[in-house]
Amino acid sequence: MSASYYGRPIVKPHVWKPYVPWYFWIGGAAGAASVQCVAARARREHGLATVQKRAALACMIVAPVLLIADLGVPSRFYNMLRVFKPTSPMNLGTWIVTAFAGALGASTAAEILGWNRTSRALEVAAALLGPPLTVYTAVLLADTATPVWHESYETLPFVFAASGVAAAGAIGCAFAPPAETRFARTLMVAGALALPVTGQVMEHRLGPLLSEPYRIGVAGGYTRASAALACAGAAIGLFGRKSRTATRLAAACVAGAGIFERFAVTAAGRQSALDPKYVVESQRKRRA
Amino acid sequence: MDLFDATSSERESATYDAPQPRKGFFTDTTLCIGCKACEVACKEWNQLPADSTGFSGESYDNTGALNGTTWRHVAFIEQLRGGAAAAAAPEHASVVHAEGSRWLMESDVCKHCTHAACLDVCPTGSLLRTEFGTVVVQADVCNGCGYCVPACPFGVIDKREDNGHAAKCTLCYDRLKDGETPACAKACPTESIQFGDLDELHRRADERLAKVRANEHFHDASLYLRGDDDGIGGGGAFFLLLDKPEVYGLPPDPIVSTRALPQMWRAAAKAALVLVALTAAAALGSRR
Repeated sequence: MSASYYGRPIVKPHVWKPYVPWYFWIGGAAGAASVQCVAARARREHGLATVQKRAALACMIVAPVLLIADLGVPSRFYNMLRVFKPTSPMNLGTWIVTAFAGALGASTAAEILGWNRTSRALEVAAALLGPPLTVYTAVLLADTATPVWHESYETLPFVFAASGVAAAGAIGCAFAPPAETRFARTLMVAGALALPVTGQVMEHRLGPLLSEPYRIGVAGGYTRASAALACAGAAIGLFGRKSRTATRLAAACVAGAGIFERFAVTAAGRQSALDPKYVVESQRKRRA
Repeated sequence: MDLFDATSSERESATYDAPQPRKGFFTDTTLCIGCKACEVACKEWNQLPADSTGFSGESYDNTGALNGTTWRHVAFIEQLRGGAAAAAAPEHASVVHAEGSRWLMESDVCKHCTHAACLDVCPTGSLLRTEFGTVVVQADVCNGCGYCVPACPFGVIDKREDNGHAAKCTLCYDRLKDGETPACAKACPTESIQFGDLDELHRRADERLAKVRANEHFHDASLYLRGDDDGIGGGGAFFLLLDKPEVYGLPPDPIVSTRALPQMWRAAAKAALVLVALTAAAALGSRR
């Protein structure tokens, strides 16, 4: 037992509402969907490409609502865009979200106007911003004093990338024309399998002490639920290829796995901030 | 190029036309008598509402911790020791050795870090470094995103419930502007809280530490955040402690998370590339 002041926290846990982990998932899905949209175009699977594009746009309509609703003073949301500040991952992220949503919205507008080449070029622009959109939230969390977030800065982006790929793959599987789901299914299954694997690698690299918040309490429950849904989704996705219902069930499982993973990361961060032993013992180890 | 310097908030103090000598607090915990005059003076001057009126059962501490409306917090640590420490040292008012026990008291405050994580991560530019080298929230710019809260390695800054924005000690910026001493230091009856030019405070603290350490019971005394070689580049507020930092609820080896920002973005870039590569491989590898 390390010494502490009445067991009180040394660092403060995050003060975000559940809007934020929901945003992490939605933003991650949108980023990966934009990449899958362009890849589907290259495969001449325009039905799938359209599904991914519409899904990404829908996500980008919901995302700002979630982000602004979480603010203490929502009417001042635009203050994020009054500065360009590279030391703040949240500021850079806001610019990434804005540019991504702008490209996607403009592409959709061009599509409606029948300017197809402009529309496709803007899809590519969105796809270039998509991967940063999917992973910047991992940097945002790592750039804090919350022990499990900061100490996992090398592995957390891969967890978020896996979750994004899985979510976008699931969207493709659920809504694309059945003849065009093969590519989306590959990504859904690969992402679903990568999700618990990257999570395990992250926990392993955190070590026995700092991975504990992922195994106990609410965060432990979310982590186990995520892994179970990911495995179930991958299995149903692989063996239920012939059935539309099975495919959609698999997609729902995989989407759920990603959502639980984001809630697990958020809750584990909170748990690691609330117990001072994670701060004290990891810092003592660093100094020794 | 040292990327740490490139992302450091320290440099921002250089942008003033008439920079002042860096101001700070030296809190000498050996002189603290636990009167909480600093807490009261701070609340009065800064017009902060009462927030903790209950009974904690944790010695004389019913305040608990620093937060958005409590910017000074006196910690009380009752230590029951063996007979060896029983001999009293009368010149150290706060450390009452009697029947093998001692009572540590410490007035905690924002550290006004040289490399301030809250300032670095703030996405709106609401947090700024003043001409006195202190770190201050502009309440009329902050939109209450809450990012600074988990970023602070000391758990100081917090989001206020009543108005939704972040708040913490300003080192009485308004009083400093008029050449006045901050309210807490002014009210302290034992000069446990000393205010002044940081260079002068460092000199005084070094002298004081030598004197305290000369007493056989206080060989473990140390200056906390006195140097510039720690993970935050030293504090604008620093402390003379008689026990390990964690005993007072302070982190033993605080670091500014932004220090690892280049490595964090590199890891995120790798994850983004993996996302693209995985999608491309699936697009090429999946049958049509």
